[in-house]
Amino acid sequence: MQGLTYTHRHPTQVRRLLPDLIRHRRLLFDLVSKDLRVRYRFTAMGFLWAILEPLMMTLILYFVFGYVFQFQRGTGETPFYAVSLLCGLVFWQFFSRSLTAGVRSLVDHENLVSKVYFPRELVPLSVMGTNLVNLIIGTVILMVLFLALGGRPGASVFWMLPALVIQMGLVAGLLLLLSCLHVFYRDVAYIVDVVMVMGFYASPIFYTYETHVRPALEGHPWALALYTANPMVGLLTVYRQALVVGGTPDLDLLLWPAFFAALALGVGAWLFRRKSGVLADYL
Amino acid sequence: MNPIIRLEHVTKAFRPRRAPGRLLKGDLLRAFRGVRHEPFIALRDLSFDVAPGESVGIIGRNGSGKSTLLKLIAGVTVPTQGDVSVYGRVASLLELGAGFHPYLTGRENVFLNAAILGMSRARTVEMFDRIVEFSGVGDFIDHPVETYSSGMYVRLAFAVAVHVDPDVFLVDEVLAVGDEAFQRKCRRRIGELKEQGKTILFVSHDLGVVNTLCDRVILLHGGEMVVRDTAQDTIQYYLRLVGGESSTAVLRDGRSEVVFNNGRLSLFHHRRELTAPDGIQVCLRSMEQDHAGMAATWHVEMIGGASCVARGRLPRLPAVLVWRLRLEGDSLQCGLALECDRDVSIEFFDVLCALRTAYRRWLYGEMSGVFPDITPEDVTRLTLVSPAVSCREVAAMGVDDDSEPAVFARMDSTAGFWRMQWANADYLAASRLLCIGGRVPDQESLFTQGVHELVSFKLELGGEPDAIRHRFVARNTLACGGLSAHFAHGQVRLRQGEVELTQFVHGYASMLIGDLWNDSSSFRWDPVHNDGVRLRATGHSRRFPFRQHWTLQCENGGCRVRIELEALEALDVQEYHFSVGLRTDYDSWRSDHEEGHFDDFIAGEEDWRHMNRLYAPGHRVAAMGAGLPTVLLEAGHTGPPVRMTAINTGFSHQARVLQALRTPDAGCLHFEPGTHLFFEGTVFVRP
Repeated sequence: MQGLTYTHRHPTQVRRLLPDLIRHRRLLFDLVSKDLRVRYRFTAMGFLWAILEPLMMTLILYFVFGYVFQFQRGTGETPFYAVSLLCGLVFWQFFSRSLTAGVRSLVDHENLVSKVYFPRELVPLSVMGTNLVNLIIGTVILMVLFLALGGRPGASVFWMLPALVIQMGLVAGLLLLLSCLHVFYRDVAYIVDVVMVMGFYASPIFYTYETHVRPALEGHPWALALYTANPMVGLLTVYRQALVVGGTPDLDLLLWPAFFAALALGVGAWLFRRKSGVLADYL
Repeated sequence: MNPIIRLEHVTKAFRPRRAPGRLLKGDLLRAFRGVRHEPFIALRDLSFDVAPGESVGIIGRNGSGKSTLLKLIAGVTVPTQGDVSVYGRVASLLELGAGFHPYLTGRENVFLNAAILGMSRARTVEMFDRIVEFSGVGDFIDHPVETYSSGMYVRLAFAVAVHVDPDVFLVDEVLAVGDEAFQRKCRRRIGELKEQGKTILFVSHDLGVVNTLCDRVILLHGGEMVVRDTAQDTIQYYLRLVGGESSTAVLRDGRSEVVFNNGRLSLFHHRRELTAPDGIQVCLRSMEQDHAGMAATWHVEMIGGASCVARGRLPRLPAVLVWRLRLEGDSLQCGLALECDRDVSIEFFDVLCALRTAYRRWLYGEMSGVFPDITPEDVTRLTLVSPAVSCREVAAMGVDDDSEPAVFARMDSTAGFWRMQWANADYLAASRLLCIGGRVPDQESLFTQGVHELVSFKLELGGEPDAIRHRFVARNTLACGGLSAHFAHGQVRLRQGEVELTQFVHGYASMLIGDLWNDSSSFRWDPVHNDGVRLRATGHSRRFPFRQHWTLQCENGGCRVRIELEALEALDVQEYHFSVGLRTDYDSWRSDHEEGHFDDFIAGEEDWRHMNRLYAPGHRVAAMGAGLPTVLLEAGHTGPPVRMTAINTGFSHQARVLQALRTPDAGCLHFEPGTHLFFEGTVFVRP
């Protein structure tokens, strides 16, 4: 059994964040597995929902944007429009679901946070962990769909990994920052909800950055800069390019998301550590 | 030794919680105007150490910062200034069911909860069966906790909490969970943890528990540590501290002091507290629900400096409890009444006077005894006097006459069902209990709208022990030369100087009617008349229509016993006897016809075994023992013929018995209605 010695100063030190998380990794897994079990308990189809949900979403989006509006015209990826859709959707949902649920997580887990000492970072991070499992399932479906439609993925799919690392950093950083802020200002979760709805349309999911947005905003550098300030633009584009287009994706698209993620992580971890001692007082 | 918990100049302030719309109207506007809200200081400059293995209680009124202090030590929140250091693993029982999810099964929740409390997976697997067994949840362990009753939920949570085996336990008022049986289990478990040398921090309003469990008690008042001392002293200080509100009162007269605090009375004599921290409280039961006087909302009206009327409105019963208290010198007159707004049915009353465990001897009417020690095994109240007997005067004293101020109690006017009883409280409450109360008979259980006087009793504090003893004993004792005979409840206790000669049944009579033995000690006895020469008592059989009239008289240095049987109806008796149970040091006997030794007692043998072989009628039987006076039982010549025998009792009660036995030659002894001489004889001692 592990011993524990602490003084109240410890949780405020940012450099102890990683050691704390590593020491409590078991608890992190337990929280994630709890979330997963709770999510599909008492459902007739259980884990199947993790597969059905993105497929249904893809179906309706394909019907609206692919069949009715013919968005795939001119992309050169006509047969794989469904794959592009699902690819964008899976990674977008990882982002948006982690944030919408994670921002509220400290408040939702009040009976834990206000009663027991453990690194509070585990709570929002466990939400990301849960959604990471869904992401993995989504990726498997994505691959199956791609192969089923006759796609032959090249070595370029491995470019998805660095993008995923950046996205995880981004999600973790934003989660730490926003979930902590939400404890003090409960408006944060509503803002996040609204931003996520806007983000669905402001991110290249059912359209593409290269064929739809860049040509349309040519000559409006400010508008383009504003659009690409959304870090998901670069990330989703790289995922799609790596999977569907093949060849080396536009790596310079990752620069801004990487910087954004590092900034969010830094600020998030700093703020969270600074406030973690008194979070319980505000719950 | 290094401390396991150290607090250095700890201050904890809370910013006042603000209303909605706070960002714009609150924060920004205030920042703009430069206004700051004063923070609320929950704890101010607190410093103390707790050594490993120590148990420390934290008491104080609501809002005095107790829970904040526990939260700081649990690491849930951090101090605004100062340092809190904990060198070990903390489990707090204030986090019962932390992280329990209603959808998960009991098993899944146990593992998750244990992980949150810091127990490793392997260890949880190891302890799992014990946790389930302790919780008593049984097969439900694989059902979602959503389907649990609230009792099962809390039991399971508590079971996990007490099995995580941490270095420091934080306990916060959790003993009020679950049913009676489970509470007992919890108390025992906490007692065990203390015995195992765990460090325990205990926050409670239950001063009794704090007193037993804690080596040291910290009293918080307005966020500051007021006293840190032994449990007893701090609790006394606490009771005095709270003595200023409208729900509390302090009565003083001479050396005695009575503190009434929200339904609880504490008695002081010469600045020493006589009552245990539980004090004197009322409890009643109506419609199978318990109502504690402590839960009532009390308002006290002082009448002069030494008497008061306290009225407590019960929260869940349309009734008000009224205490009338008057202190005169060292005597406290207590009257308890019930004012009913509507008709109320009440099944049970209990006025509990908890005295400190330093009280070791009890007196109860004609009986007396020593309170047994209270051990962790004692999880319920242990009553000390048979429910069959009853009296109106009791007393308790310390080990020596000087060690504790004696407490004498007399119950005055009451309804018939009120009784007094001596008892030991359980391990955690650890006190000597004088219980005044009883089950209300069905036909009287309806209390109509209006005022009902329940009971009035008087407590005398610090009386002269010898004088008190005299009140109890002298009335029923007859001096017969060197022998003194004490009559109580159909038994005669014989004593020479300080040496008790009799034991177990003492001198008593028994009749076999319809194959049932009717012992004189099971009769209902009227008060005894004693003029110093002759002691007379009348006992009523509870089973058959007859009475016995006993007369004890001093005669020729012996005690003459004359028993008359008053048959109210014709009575057929198979046989009867008068016997004297003696100490086991008596090892030989002699009758008119033969003599012999008393055999050793045989383990497992519960029947009485006759030592003599001959049963011819006789007059004398004697018992001898080294260093003891010889005891003779002699049947008088005026009484009916009897056979004198010597007997060993069964193994579990071990006594030597001298017996005058009357058996019929054939059939039954027939008694017509009327008075008959039943037995006449004398008990002597010879050096």
